[in-house]
Amino acid sequence: MKTPIHLLAVALIALALAAPRVAAHHSNVGFAVETVLTANGVVKEWQWSNPHTWLILTVDDGKGGQVEWAMEGRAPSVLLRAGWSRNIMKAGDKVTVHYSPSKDGSKVGMIARVTLADGRVLPNAPPGD
Amino acid sequence: MLIFTGLARRTAAIAVVVAVALVAMLGAQSTPPARPDFSGVYRPINPFGNAAAGRGAPPAGTAAPTTPAPGQPLPPPTRTAPLSDGSRGRSPDAPQLTPPYLAKWQAMSKSRVAGSSESDKVAQCLPPGMPLMMSMFYGMEVMQTRDKITFFSELNDALRRVYLDGRKPTPAILDDPTYAGFSTGHWEGDTLVVDTVALRDDTYIEGFTPHSDQMTVHERIRFASPGVLEDRIVVSDPKALVKPWETVKTYRKMTGPPDDQLREFACAEGLGHVR
Repeated sequence: MKTPIHLLAVALIALALAAPRVAAHHSNVGFAVETVLTANGVVKEWQWSNPHTWLILTVDDGKGGQVEWAMEGRAPSVLLRAGWSRNIMKAGDKVTVHYSPSKDGSKVGMIARVTLADGRVLPNAPPGD
Repeated sequence: MLIFTGLARRTAAIAVVVAVALVAMLGAQSTPPARPDFSGVYRPINPFGNAAAGRGAPPAGTAAPTTPAPGQPLPPPTRTAPLSDGSRGRSPDAPQLTPPYLAKWQAMSKSRVAGSSESDKVAQCLPPGMPLMMSMFYGMEVMQTRDKITFFSELNDALRRVYLDGRKPTPAILDDPTYAGFSTGHWEGDTLVVDTVALRDDTYIEGFTPHSDQMTVHERIRFASPGVLEDRIVVSDPKALVKPWETVKTYRKMTGPPDDQLREFACAEGLGHVR
């Protein structure tokens, strides 16, 4: 049986969309580090990667739609000592993120803190650091 | 064939014991005094210098999520990281730069304020280099043998080796600058004295303070108190610095898991996506 070409195309596009998101990684200087904003959203993806982690977040845009934010976190080596882990969040979790906005106005933020639905607070540095 | 009497056997045995004891004593006298052992994993006490004094490494076992007491929400954070774009000028504690190197710093500051990561070499996964790497922002592992001490930085998995066997930098080494440079050391009592040469000119002294290819680094490393390692650093650079710059880094030794384990950093995972 021959697979119709349009089904193949759909499958390829689906594969491309499902491929792991590769977000650009930034230096701290890309963010307004002394401005901290809040976003409430739903976790789309939690990437436990070096040199920075990524929290892909779906946020209501207030107009009936949704926007996607890429929240950049510190390295696993630091976050491990601050109580985070590879499995601390999963797709579908509701979270509150305190973040610094990107200087270029893109929907990218630098994580200051994540608050989980159960009230646990994940700071971006180990206690006392 | 010699036949010992009981007395002769006892005398011979005593002679052997005395001889062994004498050899042991002489051996002890010729052995150098015991050196402190710096081996272990440390966390920085003042990674960002005097401006952030009191930022201590966490005590073991405190890395747990913070749960606010009921009805007591945590105050919102006021920043995500220390400001590192130079927009407030240079700290009085920072190295004093000669005019051409101050101009280089100002140009990089302007680029950083605009949001460019171009001058952030560590974000590009390059080694921080000496002496910046001794800030050991995330953690440090020291491995020590009689002839060599190796310092490993958790941030960017960076390494430096300090040779203690009396070797000296050769012309070939001096002609081949590297991020960590070429370090030789010797003991003065309980203090390890280290000199570093052959350093690349495209790293930073601290922050993003530039320097020339004439920079050298002198260090005195010792236990300031049990479990607290101190590195007194003097940076000399006749081209870039008005006068040698001195700083002191301190590190707390971690005593058990999980804090005495460094995690793989593997910065290159994010390479190619820096902007």
